[in-house]
Order: sequence, then C-alpha cells, then structure tokens
Amino acid sequence: MLILAAEAPLWRTIDQPVALKGLVAMVGLLLIAWQLWWFLGRHGGGVAARESEAGVQEITITVDGGYTPSRIQVKAGRPLRLSFHRIDPSGCVAQVIFPDFHKTLDLPLEATTSLELPPTEAGVYPFHCGMNMVRGVLEVVD
Amino acid sequence: MERELARERTLLRRKVSVAAVLTVLVMVSSLPHMLGLHSLPYLPLWFTSPWTQLILTTPVLFWCGRDFFTGAVSAFRQHSADMNTLVAAGTGIAYLTSLFTTLFPQVLIAEGLPTDVYFETAAVILTLVLLGRLLEARARGQTSEAIRRLLQLQPPTARVVRNGQPVDVPVSLVVVGDLVQVRPGEKIPVDGEVSEGTSWVEESMLTGEPTPVAKAAGDAVIGASMNRSGSFTFRVSRVGADTVLAQIVELVRQAQSSRTQVQRLADQVVGWFVPVVIAMAITAFVVWFLISGNPVLAMLFLVSVLVIACPCALGLATPTSIMVASGKGAENGLIFRSAEALETAGKLRTIVLDKTGTLTRGQPEVTDFERLPGGVLQAGTLLALTAALESRSEHPLAEAITTYARSQLKDADLPAVQGFEAVAGRGVQGVVAGQQVRVGTPRWFEELGIDTAALKPLVERLEAAACSVAAAVVDGRIEACFGVADPLKTGSEAAVAALRRLGLQVVMLSGDARRTAEVVADQVGIERVIAEVRPADKASVIRKLQEQGDGPVAMVGDGINDAPALAQADVGIAMGTGTDVAIAASDITLISGNLAGVPAAIELSRAAMANIRQNLFFAFAYNVAGIPLAAGLLFPLTGWLLSPMIAGAAMAFSSVSVVSNALRLRNFRPARLPLPTT
Repeated sequence: MLILAAEAPLWRTIDQPVALKGLVAMVGLLLIAWQLWWFLGRHGGGVAARESEAGVQEITITVDGGYTPSRIQVKAGRPLRLSFHRIDPSGCVAQVIFPDFHKTLDLPLEATTSLELPPTEAGVYPFHCGMNMVRGVLEVVD
Repeated sequence: MERELARERTLLRRKVSVAAVLTVLVMVSSLPHMLGLHSLPYLPLWFTSPWTQLILTTPVLFWCGRDFFTGAVSAFRQHSADMNTLVAAGTGIAYLTSLFTTLFPQVLIAEGLPTDVYFETAAVILTLVLLGRLLEARARGQTSEAIRRLLQLQPPTARVVRNGQPVDVPVSLVVVGDLVQVRPGEKIPVDGEVSEGTSWVEESMLTGEPTPVAKAAGDAVIGASMNRSGSFTFRVSRVGADTVLAQIVELVRQAQSSRTQVQRLADQVVGWFVPVVIAMAITAFVVWFLISGNPVLAMLFLVSVLVIACPCALGLATPTSIMVASGKGAENGLIFRSAEALETAGKLRTIVLDKTGTLTRGQPEVTDFERLPGGVLQAGTLLALTAALESRSEHPLAEAITTYARSQLKDADLPAVQGFEAVAGRGVQGVVAGQQVRVGTPRWFEELGIDTAALKPLVERLEAAACSVAAAVVDGRIEACFGVADPLKTGSEAAVAALRRLGLQVVMLSGDARRTAEVVADQVGIERVIAEVRPADKASVIRKLQEQGDGPVAMVGDGINDAPALAQADVGIAMGTGTDVAIAASDITLISGNLAGVPAAIELSRAAMANIRQNLFFAFAYNVAGIPLAAGLLFPLTGWLLSPMIAGAAMAFSSVSVVSNALRLRNFRPARLPLPTT
C-alpha cells in the first residue's frame, strides 16, 4: 500500500483515442489558467472605508472563511476603526494580526470586535489570521 | 477565548475518534479489493461492497471534515485558496470519482475502464489531516504558554486596609492609593511603594534575577512578585493595565504580533503557493492520462499532489518560533519589542555599552577622603563645612560628598551658608561659619593661584583608580581632597567577557575624561573606548560606527538619557530598574538592571533565528521534495508511486513537526543566565 508497484492491478495502460487525449490536455490547461486567474488575479479595487462625522474612517469586516471585504481602502493620515464580525467557528480565524502595527485582536465567535488604528502613511499593510492562512490587505492611499 | 478554544478542541477530538473508527471499517471493507481478491473469509459480501464503503465514508468527509469543505468554499468565494482548498479538493475528487463508479459501473465497464473505488483513500486522508490538526492545536497551545503563565502570576485578591481593618478584595477593585498588607509567603498583588515593615521579595518571575531583594519603607514593589520572610504594608501606585506585569504581557503580545523580514518572504510564497500546487496537480493528471490513458491512475496522482502540499508549514515556520522565543525571553526578564528586534539582535557585530548606569551603578560614591599636610581643621569640622556647602549643589559629585559627610557626621545639623555660588565646570564656593569655603577641581585652585603641589601625587593616584577628584579649600588653605568614583556593578566584567565570547566587538561610551574612562574599561576588559562624549552626541557616535562598517550596532543604556542613541542603534537595549517598563521605546528591555541579560538576549536571538531557519528549510524542503514525488516524477527512474494516503499522512505531520521544533526553544537556557528559582 505504501508504494504501489507497477505490477499492481492499478497500473494498467488503456488505449485512448487521440481526440480524447487532446481534449483532456486542453481542458487541463484551461482549468490551470482559470484557477490561476481566479486566485491570483486582481479582483476589484477593494472596498473603501466610510467616514464618520468625527473624521474616523470605519468599516465592518465579516470573518467567514475569509475576510469580506478582504481588500480595504482607507485614506492616509486619518484614524481608522476596523470592526470584525466573526461568524466562522474555525479556530484559525479566532485571531487577526496586523504585523505592521504590532496588534493582535482576539475575535470571539458571533460577535463584533473593533480595532482602532492611528492615522498612517500611505502604503499596503497586510493582515492575517493567527495561522497566517486567511489574509486581507489594508491599502492606505493619499 | 480560552473556553472557546477548549470547546473547539473537545469537538475536534470527538470528530477524530469518529473518523478513526469509520475509517478502520472502510479499510477492512476495502481489503479484498486492495489484495486483488474477490472475497475474504469471515467478511460477508455486503460488507465489502462499494455501497457499504460509500455509507461509511460519507459521514467522515461531511461531518468530521465539514470545516474543510465550508472553509474551502468561503475562501474560494474570496478568491483565496488555502489548506482547506487542498484537503477538500483532494478528498472530494477521490470521493466523487468513487461515487460515480459505484452508481454507474456499467459506463466504465463499457469503456473497458477499471471499476475500483477509492473511498478508503478519501477517508484515510481526512482522518490523518484531522488528527494532524488536533496535534497541532495542542502544540500551538503550548507556544503561548509563557504569556498564560505570566497572567497567572497575579493573585486573585489583595488584603486592603479599609477603615483600619484588613479586608480581602478582588484585585480588580484595588485602586491607586490603597494600603495593602502582605504576609510572608504571599504574592504581592499590584505595584506600589512600601510604607511600613521590611521583607525580602523574590522578583525572579519578572526580572529573571534569582536573589531576593530587600524591601523597606520607600522601596518599590512589583505586583506578582513573591514575598519571602517579612510582613509589610504598601501603598498602591499602579493597577490594571499600568502595572509592570500588564505592561510586560502587552509588550510580549506586541512582539508576537509582529513579523520578521524572513517571514515577509515566506508570506509572499504562501500567497501563490496553493494555486501553483493546484496547477501542478492538474498537470500531473494530464501528463499521466496522456502516458497511460488510465483516468483512475491519473486521478490518484492528482489527489496525491493536492494532499501532500503543506502551505501551513510555511506559514507557521516563523510565528511559532517567535512566540516561543519572546515568551522564553519574558520568563528571563528579557522583553523583545518586536520580531525584528529578535532577528537583528542575532546578527549584531558591535555592542556599545554606556558607562554610567550600565557598567557602573550610576551613583557616584566617595571612595577616598584624604587630609593634606597643610590642613588645620578637625575632620568633623571640615566635613560639616563641606557638606553644608555641597548640599546646596545638585552636581552628582556634590551629592556623593554630601552623602558621605552626613554618614560620617551621623546626621548632625549643618551650619548655614552665605553667598553660595556655583562656578560651572569648577566647583562651588560660599561663606560657612565665617570662613571662605571652596570645593572643586584641583585645576580651579591652580587658576586661583593656590599652591597645589601637595595635591599632585594624590590626584594622580586617585585618577589612576578612575576617581574624580574634588579638593576642599578653607580660607585659601587646601585642607583635604575627595576621591569620588562610580563603582562597577557586580557582574559587569563577566557580562563583557560573555559578549566577547559571543564574538562581538565591545565598545564603551562615556562622557568622562579619557583617563577615567580608560581605567573603567580596563577593569571590565573593554579595549575600545569612546570617551568625552556629550550626551547629545551619543547618537552621532553610533551613526559613525554604523557608517564605518561596524554594524549592526547595539546600544545598551539606561533608556532615559540615552533615548536618541538607543533609537539610532540597530538594536536599542534599555536596562530597566525593575519597576519602570515604560522604557518601551527600546527594542529590547532588560527588566532587571543586570548586564548579564545582554549576552542572554543575544544568545536567545541567535537560537530563535537558527530555529526559524530550520523550520523554513524544513517546510520548503518538504514541499519541494514531496510534490514531485507525489506527482510521480520519480516513477520512470525508480518505479515508485506514492499512495495518496501516505501523502496525506506526510502533510499532516509536516506542520506538527514545525510546531514541535519551535517548542524546542522552550528548553533554551543561556549559559550565563541563572536558573529560575521557581
């Protein structure tokens, strides 16, 4: 079971029509191209935070498998309040970490937790879950 | 939070048990097929049918492994792919093809294709990954143990004096200004200042210093430290988030939330890792289909590639090491402000030590009091005159002389001073008890035309012993001279030796005269001295060292006067006084004022960075070696095909091994750090 020898019943060559082989190769290549585009391509320019009367930018992020929205645009030089609403029970997303701000936020399940960030310079500041698998990006623009 | 994690672990454990039982049944059921037989004795035919395997596997995937699928779907909607994507795709594909075979075997038979099912593959992979996740969760819980232990140090209640009566009060209700009683063997609940009583207090859990510290009225006590022998009462000065303990916890948490430069690289890799693995898996399928024409075989390669890849190991490689290392540091009174501080401290080449307050105690003391042949006054009278004059000055030297004189005079009243004047850089003068008294540098008296010949040999001897010299002159007669020195801290010499053993260039920085500075440097074994540096120029000295290629450079100072130099250095190390963690502006804070913490911090940094390198190497090497193996790249050479089940097992244990390797840092103990006494 560890290593299947070539003689095992599994190893069996079957003659397939060339057309089918071509089709499989085609579909495979298309599938590769599509998934690379889907996962790595840029989708949308991010969601802008709305500004409250006090001049604080605010946005609520839903935590469910990923961060919705995961790309957040804010203006430079204004304070920011991020509210995370976690509905995903997975322990992975129980923490959100902002490495550039040295901040870790514990997110209780089915609750909204807020994080206040000071005004920052323009730049791209990633954030991620405790295990570094679920990610989002804070885009600070002038 | 804690309770939620515990509940999650319980649920995970239950899922692993259920999955394990069902998976064993599926494996038994698929035995005849695996052995290439029609049936086995004692196994009824219905039990080995694909339908039984379907029924047994379905709950394993969709109840035990539900989180993988829901996680993968939500991540997919977010245009992101992670661990869940790979596990869900791998097991899902094996399950779906087997389902098709079970439902429509005649389609495959008509095409001349095999009708094998691979339910057991899906079930085994899922169970192993789930088990890996459970082990990993358990190990990860231990990485944050240091913080948990720190938090548990604080006792739940304090004995507060209310209306003259001691009352037990929850710590959260204690306010600044309260009087708190502490009995022998009890923990001190919050920070404060002793108002009554004396005792020995053990602060090792916060400072890493093993020897108990004597406490009397006026001394500061730190919350969470342990009272040893005596009873005392203290006035609360800080509660809640302001306490030293809370600040340490906060600093460590901050460090654990930051990331190193190497991590940034790993993060970028993790970002495109999963899509690339999916592309490789599809490629493996296509290539093997073209070679063999066997879709089932090609599918098994696809599944193997998907489940062997482990982006988790890459993502966990540095954060777990940083977690353990910064927690370990806190246990020993070494607080790292960020992961980058930990990283840079491991690469240091030069370490600059400030003399005053770092190598020395920072409080000058009179070491010599010498009468001169021409003097006529009695020692007591002379000391009273000098002390009266010097007590008006704020110069550190003057303070040392006053303290010395007072201790000799047993706190007798000092005569009044008239016409007090401080002459900058020279000394002080005034009329005391009708006599003109001057205390100052020998040079000043030369300038005033007083015969200082008798003073010369004394001055030379005292300066050679790193003393500053002040002479006392009454009515133009040189009466005596004082040798004032800032004594070395115990352990300074050993710490410098330890730093040199670590291969660092040690430089001493001092505002003192070159000769004095060199004597001190000689005593502790430092060869390179930069003396006569004004406090404002310290930062530029550091910059010069960095430009000369001595870097990365660390600066060790008391954190208050040296702030600009600490900021200029690649790593600023502040020596705390045990009660003031507010000096968080530095990259590393030593809670105790012990210089031995500096080599310890550097050793810990090096150990942590070595650990991170091992983890990253392992994680990269694992994926780089595992994926081609799973894709069957070695098959033409060796005839090896990796079973998808083995691929799943390898993946599950790769992230467990990364976390376990990071946990090895818990055993780190710098050679020069004393053993914690608890």
